[in-house]
Amino acid sequence: MANRDTFSGLHPLVNFLYFGLVLLFGMCFMHPACLIISLASAVAYNIYLNGRRAVRFQLMFVLPMLLLAAVLNPAFNHQGATILTYLPSGNPLTLESILYGLAAAVMLCAVVTWFGCYNAVMTSDKFVYLFGRVIPALSLVLSMTLRFVPKFTAQLKVVTEAQQCIGRSTSDGTLLQRLKNAVTITSIMLTWALENAIETADSMKSRGYGLPGRTAFSIYRFDDRDRAALLWLGFCGFFICCGWLAGGVSFRYYPTVVCAPATPLNICFFAVYLALCLTPLLLNIKEDLVWTKLRREGSEANV
Amino acid sequence: MWQKHKTKIIAICAVLIVLAGAFWYGGSAPGLQGWTAADNTKTDNPVTAPDPAQATQTAEQNGKTQQAEQGEPQEQDKPDDATAKPEQPAAKPQDNLTPAEKVAAAAEIAGAAGQAAPGSESYSKEQGMQIDPATGKDQYNTDPVPEGKPLPVEPENAVITDEAYTCTMSISCASILEHMDWLADGKAELVPEDGVILAPTEVTFYGGESVFNVLQRVCKQNKIHMEFMNTPMYNSAYIEGIHNLYEFDCGELSGWMYSVNDWFPNYGCSRYQLSDGDVICWEYTCDLGVDVNGFYSTGA
Repeated sequence: MANRDTFSGLHPLVNFLYFGLVLLFGMCFMHPACLIISLASAVAYNIYLNGRRAVRFQLMFVLPMLLLAAVLNPAFNHQGATILTYLPSGNPLTLESILYGLAAAVMLCAVVTWFGCYNAVMTSDKFVYLFGRVIPALSLVLSMTLRFVPKFTAQLKVVTEAQQCIGRSTSDGTLLQRLKNAVTITSIMLTWALENAIETADSMKSRGYGLPGRTAFSIYRFDDRDRAALLWLGFCGFFICCGWLAGGVSFRYYPTVVCAPATPLNICFFAVYLALCLTPLLLNIKEDLVWTKLRREGSEANV
Repeated sequence: MWQKHKTKIIAICAVLIVLAGAFWYGGSAPGLQGWTAADNTKTDNPVTAPDPAQATQTAEQNGKTQQAEQGEPQEQDKPDDATAKPEQPAAKPQDNLTPAEKVAAAAEIAGAAGQAAPGSESYSKEQGMQIDPATGKDQYNTDPVPEGKPLPVEPENAVITDEAYTCTMSISCASILEHMDWLADGKAELVPEDGVILAPTEVTFYGGESVFNVLQRVCKQNKIHMEFMNTPMYNSAYIEGIHNLYEFDCGELSGWMYSVNDWFPNYGCSRYQLSDGDVICWEYTCDLGVDVNGFYSTGA
């Protein structure tokens, strides 16, 4: 399968390290600046990768989730020193709980969006390439599980259409008849899933998966570009971890909002965090520019 | 041998290291870290006792119906020990005590204070409390109240009249001052220097109102933060936090308790109907009520 973008073309180790870092920092940092950096980069990268589908996903799924999560926290959490008003239950509605709800919602959305990017970049062959030798059984199970849902959906479509052709549609007939047809389809799907899993396992076993000395073909090479990217990610990760330990990205919501001071050093941490999150986008844009330039030069030369 | 089982041995070692680390960590409460429980010189072990503010009701569940069975109020066992209390005001836990022993020791110290008038079943029945003979408690798990004390009035039965009365209310977290090192991160700035969140204040209330009604109104008027939760099991509000000081913020035995006229009721604040001139004190305890002399209300 062709790579989606330049970043996907880097070594799987670089891809995996990048997503490991952004997911770790995205889940641990509650500083509003970090959250905004994380969400904005994730959305931008997701749109770059998945185009219109990503925009639809953001609007239809992530945005409602953000609003819901932001509303839920102040409804159930009443901590905080700034009382705005009182809820019908008699408990206070506090500014801090609203802010925390927003922050948690942004974090949730950012992580979900990061996983959207992860799925596009880290294909299962990359995952198995990275972990197939270290933890063969687990990486196989993981990649099979991750693969299961899309594969199941595709097969479901096939089975539903086939059943429809022989007049067992889930959209016609009485309610009872439709239910019967749906149950038939479910049973077919279950049987298929079990059989498919056994077949896959047998096939893997007969090909000697996980045996010592077995080699696997892979098209991944670790070249200078990957070394540079790995160094850059390592530097960013180390620098941000230092900032994390130094308390530069700390932010307290309860009982009063307390923010780490905006010293030049702390701003450096945010800048590096932004650079880390935008790494793939910057790489892609640079490659795109180089490509258009080359094409222009080529067409000029032809003339 | 080593080559064959290398990963297994490494995995087992990793699991063991994680388990040992978790054992050493012990929990989030102060002083629980270490290899032996006896290392803790100044903190509470995790006790299966309930949190104090609710302890007015919950601790009675520990199967202790002794007071109810004996029926009549009994003499304090050790009147001589009454002097022991000022020497050990906060029931400083000694070394090598199991949690159960600590609770027992706390009970002894607090009981010797002479305040723990045991509940009187005959008095409570006479006053109209419905006590289940099987458990010795009423339908909301409340033990009989001591003689001369008001019985719980269910909030749904209370009739609020227009007659205005006054009572005095105060909110204090002075007990935290002795245990500032136990306090959760970021909460220290909330504790006033003298521990007084609300100095004794004259408050107007209307006939039939409960301690909870008054607390809620006073907190709203004085812009004091207060969070509560309704607990149907005890038919009362449970005060989770006042002034952003929450239960468990100062050790595992901490929370809010209330006393009316120097008596810590053994039922929830929504069920205590006020009468004219009552003095209500809301106090934060770090030690299941021992440090505010209200341990007896836990019924333990």
